[in-house]
Amino acid sequence: MSAPADHDGLHESSPENVMSRIAEQILRNGDGRNGEKTKRLFASPLARRIARDRGIDLAALEGSGPHGRIVLADVERAANEPPTAAPKADISQAPDAVAEPEPAMMGELMHAPAAVPVQGLSDKQILSLYQPGSYEMVPHDTMRRMIADRLTLAKQTIPHFYLNIECELDALLAARERLNGMAPQGGPRAFKLSINDFIVKAMAMALQTVPAANAIWTETGILRSRPSDIAVAVALEGGGLHTPVIRDAEVKSLSEISNEMRDLAARARSKRLAPHEYQGGTTSISNLGMYGIDSFEAVINPPQSSILAVGRAEKKPIVKDDAIKIATMMGATLSCDHRVIDGALGAELLAAFKAYLEDPVTMLV
Amino acid sequence: MSAGTEFDLVVIGGGPGGYVAAIRAAQLGMRTAVVEREHLGGICLNWGCIPTKALLRTSELYRQIAVAEAFGLRVEGLGFDLGRIVERSRAVAEKLANGVAFLMKKNKIAVFDATGRLQGSGRVGLTGTDGAILPSIAAEHIVIATGARARSLPSLEPDGVRIWTYKEAMVPAALPRSLLVIGSGAIGIEFASFYRALGVDVTVVEVLDRILPAEDEEISKLARTAFTRQGMTIHTGATVEHLRDTETGVGARLRTTGGAALDIEAGRVILAVGITGNVEGLGLEEQGVQVERGHIVVDEWCRTGAPGLYAIGDVAGPPWLAHKAMHEGVLCVEKIAGVEGVHPLDKTGIPGCTYCTPQIASLGLTEKAAREAGYELRVGRYPYAANGKAIALGETDGLVKTVFDANTGALLGAHMIGADVTELIQGFAIGKTLETTEAELIATIFPHPTLSEMMHESVLDAFGRALHI
Repeated sequence: MSAPADHDGLHESSPENVMSRIAEQILRNGDGRNGEKTKRLFASPLARRIARDRGIDLAALEGSGPHGRIVLADVERAANEPPTAAPKADISQAPDAVAEPEPAMMGELMHAPAAVPVQGLSDKQILSLYQPGSYEMVPHDTMRRMIADRLTLAKQTIPHFYLNIECELDALLAARERLNGMAPQGGPRAFKLSINDFIVKAMAMALQTVPAANAIWTETGILRSRPSDIAVAVALEGGGLHTPVIRDAEVKSLSEISNEMRDLAARARSKRLAPHEYQGGTTSISNLGMYGIDSFEAVINPPQSSILAVGRAEKKPIVKDDAIKIATMMGATLSCDHRVIDGALGAELLAAFKAYLEDPVTMLV
Repeated sequence: MSAGTEFDLVVIGGGPGGYVAAIRAAQLGMRTAVVEREHLGGICLNWGCIPTKALLRTSELYRQIAVAEAFGLRVEGLGFDLGRIVERSRAVAEKLANGVAFLMKKNKIAVFDATGRLQGSGRVGLTGTDGAILPSIAAEHIVIATGARARSLPSLEPDGVRIWTYKEAMVPAALPRSLLVIGSGAIGIEFASFYRALGVDVTVVEVLDRILPAEDEEISKLARTAFTRQGMTIHTGATVEHLRDTETGVGARLRTTGGAALDIEAGRVILAVGITGNVEGLGLEEQGVQVERGHIVVDEWCRTGAPGLYAIGDVAGPPWLAHKAMHEGVLCVEKIAGVEGVHPLDKTGIPGCTYCTPQIASLGLTEKAAREAGYELRVGRYPYAANGKAIALGETDGLVKTVFDANTGALLGAHMIGADVTELIQGFAIGKTLETTEAELIATIFPHPTLSEMMHESVLDAFGRALHI
């Protein structure tokens, strides 16, 4: 009881293990959703209490007690380990101090200091900074733990860079108004297009136009995806988010995308998505325009290689043909995984996206 | 017995750690042998735990019969026969030693009546009890379980006549008029209690500032009060400077920490100042086994660091308890066999029992140790005097004390003094192993009327909920 028992064995916070934990969580969630018998979780009373107090998700732990029972040592180990660890610095490949200097720019890239795992403050240290009684502790649920795992992994392992662009939406808005005006009222063919539906479609088309960006990083190689599978972040009431995926969005019509999105979003909010409905995809779209956000930078959702952060559409004075005119402008920021998407490639993708969005008729071909 | 000389696992030492390790190994399908130089069952069974419990049973009964009148019984001519007391104790030990021999046979474990010595590359040299060199045996894994013996101090060497160790103290030919017990750990205190019950004038000397220094301070204090009331003389914070033979026995010069000298006379002296591992003559150094302060250094899986060599029980260090040795024997062998889910020993889960009157039993951290470890505590107490069963038994001296982590509700320690506490402590041991918090202990139904209700009340008291106090 004095100190957490020291167990040997694999350290569980390596990126591979975090990924397999995430995979397990997904599978576990899937089990529950499909109404299959969810496995009873065996944990000692003390492990349960401490997990609750420290906000540790027991379901994410592996028990080292008899028959896999989760015991105190497992919880303490989880509490002491950083959410995820940065990849181990490979000392064997560290550059030799006397090695021939390389050309400046490459040299700088190659000689960047090796990543050192960053250890966050322990809960005890954090709590000591706040007056007892001045806060409440809300335990993590599985989703919070998963968001923490995945996005920390993203920021620690994915070299992000960001590209901004502004898109003029007047043509899109006109088209939208026209299409919605002619939509059947009721029945299976009814639809009501949102700006976001156009954004999904435009991104899907852009990925086909710039196929090199429709790809993700694996250690073996770059996985190039054929279809444009696009995840869309859906905020959940009471916190958390889901990212259902619209598959083959490049071949779907706007109304199909719109109706599918409506169904997926509703089921995401009631947490009734099947794993295959939120896994995969090479990019995501996160739209905070409805909150009045002008622009922001989103964190890539691994293993994807990019995410488009969409701000609000508003009327602005712009200069066009040497004259000031009013246009509805929308800012978009693409976060890219530099391992897969270099600057020029990202710019190409974003330019293609802009082109489709500003002239939506081009999405028809 | 197998006539073979090749084994999967050989245990040197057939005490409680060694024979249990051997049985577990046999259960796991290993060809197993035990090398024992003296008695199967070791000190525990032959010269320790068991025969002393037989002696203490006598003294306990004697004490009770002496107060029989209070229970409405008339007893006349109460007395004892020391020879038969000792005889019974020896008979109990012998019966159990035969039991171990049976267990070895049942599990097809080869037993070599010999002294073992490591010869390297998995070989153990054997010297028979008559000094004859026997054919050596070999095994991939060798578990050293040679136990320990009484430690002696410079100028305080036991002579076996006037200055005893536990061994002579267990088979007295005659009762000494007076007895000086040096050391107030479990062994010293048990003998003090036994001899005091039979009317011997007992003095206990302890170098630390309290008796039973491994126990919770509050328990030490209660024990001292009880022993003093029984007529024992206790000197704490005192060392024995020297012993000399006198006409009637032994003269001792005590020196208190304050520097004062005190001369006392005693018919006999029992040296109980601790234990040192039996590390000699095994060839440990040649095999690269590290020995520190009389004990073999091992890791959490009882590995010595030398390939194929393990050490368990007393020879591998404190606490010197048979049940700790047995537990290590099992975990060491299971680790060797690759059994899944083996955990290292958690020393805070080892109960300790002292069979004096009143009995003492404890588990985990003392209140002081827990505070020093930085825990915020909740401490519960419940006295025997408030328990119905204890009053009915006429056993109203005692206390059940529990120590909890205020933040998590983890049971950190339990400390008990009083009748039958050695049988009660396992309740807390199970709770602790299962990692209960106070909530489960509070929710447990304890039968009424029992002494165990005090365990419940002590937990309730720690959380301000005691019902019967």
